[in-house]
Amino acid sequence: MIDALAAEWLKLRTLRSTFVVLGVVGVVVALMALLAWYAVHLWEGLPPGRRDRLEVSSLPELANWLASLCLAVLGVLAFSGEYGTGMIRTTFTVLPSRGRVLAAKASVVAVVAFCTGLAAVLATYAAGRLIIGDRPIRGQSAEELSRQMPLFLALSLSIAMFALLGLCLAAITRSAVAAVAALVAVWYVLPIVVNNVPAPWNERIGSILPGALAGQLAGTGNPQSLGGALLSPLAALAVTVAWVAVPYTVAAVLLARRDA
Amino acid sequence: MIEVRELTKRFGRTVAVDGLTFHVKPGRVTGFLGPNGAGKTTTMRVILGLDHPASGEALVNGRRYDRIRHPMREVGALLDAGAVQGGRTPLGHLSWIARANRIGRDRVVSVIEQVGLAGAARKRIGGFSLGMRQRLGIAAALLGDPAVLLLDEPVNGLDPDGVRWIRELLRGLAAEGRTVLLSSHLMSEMELTADHLVIIGRGRLIADTPMRELTAVRDVLVRSSRAGDLATALAAAGGTVTAEDGGGLSVRGLDPKEIGDLAARHAIPLHEVTPRGASLEETYMRLTAELTGGGAGR
Ligand SMILES: Nc1ncnc2c1ncn2[C@@H]1O[C@H](COP(=O)(O)OP(=O)(O)OP(=O)(O)O)[C@@H](O)[C@H]1O
Ligand SMILES: [Mg+2]
Repeated sequence: MIDALAAEWLKLRTLRSTFVVLGVVGVVVALMALLAWYAVHLWEGLPPGRRDRLEVSSLPELANWLASLCLAVLGVLAFSGEYGTGMIRTTFTVLPSRGRVLAAKASVVAVVAFCTGLAAVLATYAAGRLIIGDRPIRGQSAEELSRQMPLFLALSLSIAMFALLGLCLAAITRSAVAAVAALVAVWYVLPIVVNNVPAPWNERIGSILPGALAGQLAGTGNPQSLGGALLSPLAALAVTVAWVAVPYTVAAVLLARRDA
Repeated sequence: MIEVRELTKRFGRTVAVDGLTFHVKPGRVTGFLGPNGAGKTTTMRVILGLDHPASGEALVNGRRYDRIRHPMREVGALLDAGAVQGGRTPLGHLSWIARANRIGRDRVVSVIEQVGLAGAARKRIGGFSLGMRQRLGIAAALLGDPAVLLLDEPVNGLDPDGVRWIRELLRGLAAEGRTVLLSSHLMSEMELTADHLVIIGRGRLIADTPMRELTAVRDVLVRSSRAGDLATALAAAGGTVTAEDGGGLSVRGLDPKEIGDLAARHAIPLHEVTPRGASLEETYMRLTAELTGGGAGR
């Protein structure tokens, strides 16, 4: 297993697309800084009495939302990049245990996604604090880092979950297009659809959607998003695990059974 | 040593390999021949554990490929030179393979030199020509210094130097006692490289014979200014003589020495005595004729 892990880590490091994805995450953080600057600009331009009408989404959460799609794509590429070129056959001749290849890819992608996600969220937080300072703009938490850390960790965990979901979807569909389409459905379309389901089901289903889990994990709820917030942190953790475990199991079974 | 036993593989309703049995022995190059769609690549994929057979089995050194702990150190394979990711360099590509099978970094550098890619070791594979990709694929196959090699059409896209290089490489590896299974559609090249042949058609075994027997001396071509007298004398001595277009005689049952001595005894001048073997191409065509039926096959 160590060999498979080291090999998958080497593979990820020697591929250009990895750095493209990480670069895009960097751009996302830069955009967040720009957004913070723009919010400050707007806020300063408003007469003091109307300033509390201005509300800006929580930047770390917005960064997380965008970064989760980027890293999900990284997860997708870990398999679809190999299926697209036929390289998967080289991989399975070098490492014949397909379960081990899946586990190695999943570990590497999860760690990279978690670390990148955490870095992006922290960088966004730091940039936001620097630029916004102590201006009380609504939506921007002025809480210190130690109080925010649970949420940031939960956000990073949800990025890792998205990345693994992408990886498994790519292993199942063997196609980048199909996997990314399925991801975007879960990431963007599903929340909108669920929001329009009659109550109380919109909130019930909304609570178990991937995008709603980080807030519930950290116990902060989802004040700004479409997602529901009915789950306890522990239940949210269980649902997060399920979002990975179910597709992972399907992927493992299919990989073992199908011809490469 | 590769053992294929009663192997059957279906894709939907297509039977790609149909009860195929053959062994590939060490110490010689075994050529794997058959028309397009005969099942050569499929057989190799099953040997490598990539495809699951419907029945039968394929063993490498006595066990299934997927049971081998560090397969690249026992089996080197080149199935599809295009099966690499263009975004990597040869160094990157070979490094992860080496790492996965605990092969030293020094081997990576030495196989890159061996296949003649030293100058391109840090260039993106995406920009490589077909021949360069073949070389990279061969480098990957040789990486673990394996005792068994499987190569599916490795000379495709290679320049004449490369073709000769592969031939000498494979003959050298077989001479060291390794097992080499090589498929190719280039009969003349195969004739120079292989010692033994496995020919299949429509997934079934057609021939499993030493190259020698397929290309054994068939007849002797004889020319003489007194062809008629010579024909009579040869027939009297027990030869089977057939006149050919252009005045030559095809003689079977007598070897060149006997023919020469006989002609000298009768004082008949000889202009040519040439022993002729069937070319591999002719024999192959004859063996597979009924399958392809003269058409393009499948
Ligand atoms: N993945 C697949 N799905 C469906 N049919 C397949 C698949 N792979 C091979 N076949 C079929 O199996 C048969 C054998 O194909 P295979 O590629 O093994 O032949 P081959 O001897 O390697 O031919 P060639 O000389 O053209 O390379 C063909 O009829 C082919 O169409
Ligand atoms: Mg083939």
